[in-house]
Amino acid sequence: MDDLLAEFVAETREMLEASGGEIVAWEADPLDTGRLDTIFRFVHTVKGNCGFFDFPRLERLSHAAEDALAECRAGRRQPDGALVSAVLAIIDRIGAMTDAIGSGEEFSEGGDEILIAALSADEPRALEKPATKHAPDAQPDRAADPGASNNTDTLETAPSVPRSANVQRSIRLPVELLDEVMKGVSDMVLARNDLARRLREAGEQPTIDAPFERLSTILADVRSSITRMRMQRLEHLFGSLPRLVRDLSKELGKQVTVDFEGGEVELDREMIEMVRDPLTHIVRNAIDHGLEGPGERIKNDKSEIGFLKFSARQSGNQISLVITDDGRGIDTDRLVEKALAAGIYSRVELDNMSERRKQHLVFEPGLSTAEKVSALSGRGVGMDVVRANIEKVGGSIDVSSTPGAGTSVFLKLPLTLSIIAALTVGSGGQRYAIPRSYVEEIVFGNSSQIDFATVGERRFVTFRGKRVPCLSLDEVLGVGENENEDSSAATGKTFVIVRLATADVFALAVDRVYDHEDVVVKPIAPAVMETGLYAGTTLLDDGRPMMLLDLPSIAARHDLVSEGRGGFKAVEEETQTVTRNSIPVMLFTALDGRKRAVRLELVRRIDTVAREAIDIETSHAHAVIDGQILALAGHEKGPFPDVRCRLLRLTDGETELVYAVSEVLDAATISNDIVSSNDDVSIEGIALIDDKPVPVIDGHHLFANHCTPRQTKTPLSCRVPGDSEWARTILSPLIEAAGYRVTTDEDEETDLAILLGEDSVPTSDPAARTVIRLRREPEGTGDGTIYRYDRNGLLAALKQARTEAIV
Amino acid sequence: MNELLLTCRIAGRRAAIPALCVQSVIEVGEVTPILGTPDFIRGLTALRSQALTVIDCSLALGLKPGPIAADQRAAVVAIDGHPYALLVDEAYDVDEAISGPIEVPGGFGAEWQRAARGLVETTSGPTLLINIESLVAGPAPMAA
Repeated sequence: MDDLLAEFVAETREMLEASGGEIVAWEADPLDTGRLDTIFRFVHTVKGNCGFFDFPRLERLSHAAEDALAECRAGRRQPDGALVSAVLAIIDRIGAMTDAIGSGEEFSEGGDEILIAALSADEPRALEKPATKHAPDAQPDRAADPGASNNTDTLETAPSVPRSANVQRSIRLPVELLDEVMKGVSDMVLARNDLARRLREAGEQPTIDAPFERLSTILADVRSSITRMRMQRLEHLFGSLPRLVRDLSKELGKQVTVDFEGGEVELDREMIEMVRDPLTHIVRNAIDHGLEGPGERIKNDKSEIGFLKFSARQSGNQISLVITDDGRGIDTDRLVEKALAAGIYSRVELDNMSERRKQHLVFEPGLSTAEKVSALSGRGVGMDVVRANIEKVGGSIDVSSTPGAGTSVFLKLPLTLSIIAALTVGSGGQRYAIPRSYVEEIVFGNSSQIDFATVGERRFVTFRGKRVPCLSLDEVLGVGENENEDSSAATGKTFVIVRLATADVFALAVDRVYDHEDVVVKPIAPAVMETGLYAGTTLLDDGRPMMLLDLPSIAARHDLVSEGRGGFKAVEEETQTVTRNSIPVMLFTALDGRKRAVRLELVRRIDTVAREAIDIETSHAHAVIDGQILALAGHEKGPFPDVRCRLLRLTDGETELVYAVSEVLDAATISNDIVSSNDDVSIEGIALIDDKPVPVIDGHHLFANHCTPRQTKTPLSCRVPGDSEWARTILSPLIEAAGYRVTTDEDEETDLAILLGEDSVPTSDPAARTVIRLRREPEGTGDGTIYRYDRNGLLAALKQARTEAIV
Repeated sequence: MNELLLTCRIAGRRAAIPALCVQSVIEVGEVTPILGTPDFIRGLTALRSQALTVIDCSLALGLKPGPIAADQRAAVVAIDGHPYALLVDEAYDVDEAISGPIEVPGGFGAEWQRAARGLVETTSGPTLLINIESLVAGPAPMAA
């Protein structure tokens, strides 16, 4: 909503600038009707916007000016110098107020009446009208949806809450320019990918690799900013709907509440503009034709107030937007009659249509079920136009309706021009991209975890207790004519477990999985789109084109999409009960070559580091990963490999440590009990995995030994004398290691202060809760001071101060 | 009415494409086939950072390609914002239309008629002016 406000401010400023010249010209010649019109349009626009944003003062001012100017335009009043000055004063005031709104400042009260009165110097009657014509935009859904009701709340408070003094300036840019920049960046990404490939081939070159990494990081940042430039939250679109709904429902004597969901979903700016009109039309339809009047609703046992819901979600590279009402639904009988009357279909054709097909008649041109053409919907724009507009931007529209219960309109909008994270897979010698958002897991066919079954013509893959239908990409694309049903062919495949937005899961068998890649998706030609297999195209880093698979559509073609609930979930639940008590673990070979297991929950990720990143001293070992020093365990088991080490990064939820392994084997589940072992505290016990005993590492023991105490978020502060070299270089590191923040600022109030012996008695009480005094001499003097090299004594004192501070 | 035309050979016959629509004429390199598409869509080829949909003009008309020139070329056009490479048997030259497109009695034959904008006189003889939109749409469906 703040975006909308910023846009309003920008637009008003722009208009003010543009009309500046007109105003001056009008002042020179008050009778110039051309100038008058321009200024009239300006105040009119401001008035309209104010009504939407609920700025009563601005609205009154612009309304008054508009009234006066309208009188002149109608010829009932002769513009004179006084009027010109009055209007100009109002325009200045509008400018000042707009600036105040833009910077979030409060504009001083009062003064408006004088300006308004000045307008009507010779005709006092012009004053009465404006004032309270527009009540604050009462939104019907205040309670229902916090997101929507915030709209007005934030606006009401916006001028009174001072934000930062510097206004966030915004400028307007043509979309083409953005597109051009975007395309440039996309090309840059391709060039970078190409370079990356060449660098990989050339082997490691530290002098080039580091700057290249930097370039990549910068490019990634630029790209995300550019993408953001084009993206806009759907809230933007939703923001204008409550008002529309309110106006329409008022006009039609209906009561409607609106609910929004998924306003945070982002969509290409241009796309938002493209769907604005179709969406408005759908809303009009829903309120005008869909929702019944209060009387009819009560008669039909419904709540008096109609309900309209907008929900959006992103699914892969598409946004689906559903508009649902709880009205009377589509009257298919009437549609059929109309279609017959209009001669679009014959009686036989209509009789043979399914109910669903009949509902789709709403998209036929020239059909409307409205009993009477109302002022709102009957404007000659039908759902056929809506559909055409949606399809023009590469989207699709569908409708489903239950008589008496309501109608849902489903819009699917593509996110063209976007860069998506994709998984590249191979099939039939070619590469294809799959949006990564769909990919849940990748399983190798030769894994012992996977099982195959063929039931009728349908193949299934059972993995981790879940049985999911399986599609072979070769067959989907029509490559593999060899109908190899035996599992030996399947084991050579890799299975990508795909979860669609509808929560349907299936496995896609591919020849191999290549890589994760960010791809720039470009739309494809309509003839290729028609295959229903592809959602777009992208270029590989070597410049060859690659197709992006349209998984939802592929799934739908193979009837793998369940309508709503049900479907394969039942199978899933059944098998899950069997494996409920199992413990997932990760199997690995330790440095001593023995197989061990660690609970999967402990493992955060697997890292591979160079040998140089590992530092082993007598008692403690550390590894450096991503600029972080982590405690290392498992290194005592055996010698390290020469070049690279595999590390399991384990976490107890707060701290992390790494465990050196020689090889990561597989994930497994322990279904029987773990037999505890008393001799070795470093292992939790012995588990039976694949009929072999495997020791399971004891996480508690591991973290107890290796984790360093975590620094508290806000460390206690400790002041040391700033003028002492000794305190700064020798004392401070010790204090910092004990978890304190060291400061030398005399004025800062600290938790602890350390004073040196030579300071004698401080002139004033140090602003600290605890004071530790140090002395130079080793001999105790009984005055509570600590010898400056008494490490243990000092640490104990620091620790005590710490406990006191926490208590 | 001196429209510039790219003259070429499609399905063994002389044909012309309005040169204004043609962005460039390229030699098509590697074509990545797109499975599941009709025959006339040969696949995708990359031109700088664009992926062009390669259309075989002869097949798109529902005809057999004639003898293919050694350096088979394609005209790069954009239709509805989508870039295409229209693969022709052989690309000749840019020529000037002497007359506007005219219909001939009896038409040009079913396949040609569908994509024809008419006959144009060029300096090198009568040529059939092709409507590129209908090339992209592909041949008429077999049934219906």
